[in-house]
Amino acid sequence: MTERDMLLKKIGTLKFAITDIDIFLDTHPGDTEMLSLRNQYESELKPLVEKFEKQFGALTKRDNQTNTWTWVKDPWPWDMEA
Amino acid sequence: MFVYEKQLQYPVRIKNPNPALAKIIADQYGGPDGELGASMRYLSQRFSMPLPELKATLTDIGTEELNHLEMIGAIIYQLTRNVSEEELKKAGLDAYFVAHTTGVYPASAAGVPWNAFSIAVKGDPITDLHESLAAEQKARTTYDNILRYCDDPDVIDPIRFLRAREVVHYQRFGENLRLLTDKLDSKNFYAFNPAFDKKCFKKK
Repeated sequence: MTERDMLLKKIGTLKFAITDIDIFLDTHPGDTEMLSLRNQYESELKPLVEKFEKQFGALTKRDNQTNTWTWVKDPWPWDMEA
Repeated sequence: MFVYEKQLQYPVRIKNPNPALAKIIADQYGGPDGELGASMRYLSQRFSMPLPELKATLTDIGTEELNHLEMIGAIIYQLTRNVSEEELKKAGLDAYFVAHTTGVYPASAAGVPWNAFSIAVKGDPITDLHESLAAEQKARTTYDNILRYCDDPDVIDPIRFLRAREVVHYQRFGENLRLLTDKLDSKNFYAFNPAFDKKCFKKK
């Protein structure tokens, strides 16, 4: 696994955990324990996304960290290299 | 509003092309119980939902289904990469090829283009939630049937992930139905439309 792969896997794992918690919270909005777990994952995610985007290009169009429009850079998610 | 993130919800990396497998997995792209229909169903049903929890659930699950549509598209794309016209014909994809080459088009495994008749938006939350619950089970059954034909771990892995999401979504829609009936007059759960007949809610 390349460094890019490993970083992207960590990011994807956290994003998925957050998505799963989101739909749990939709039907359990008063669950404070789950809400704080969500916040913890969000704070773990943030530095990883920053690190990834600086090295390998944008994951979203927000907070472009570089001088070029890295959004267009290959690979795209459906490419084998993604 | 929707914002795109340049990453699949779960990685798809298939080393060996297999157009015959792509042909059947296409059912979850544009078939009657596929991810396109799932997303359109929930994102449309949410407008007439009477409770905030239900609006949130349908919005978030409807959005997650777009992630799944993208994953299925990636699976089909990778399974048909660098495949010759002879191999496509052998896999029964010559009729598809003549219209779409190896582009990813929303149609069922049997070649029927995606159709909004395969979803329902009744504007009645009880009816719509039952439709959504059934839809999750129909998709789960389709994934189980796809898995019966899969022997490539690169394909089995993301398909199992998608199958597991159907089970979680079923649980959440079940909770939605309960949240709703808890607010209704228990004598008349199924006799009224809670989006239209406001009298069916419990008196405060």
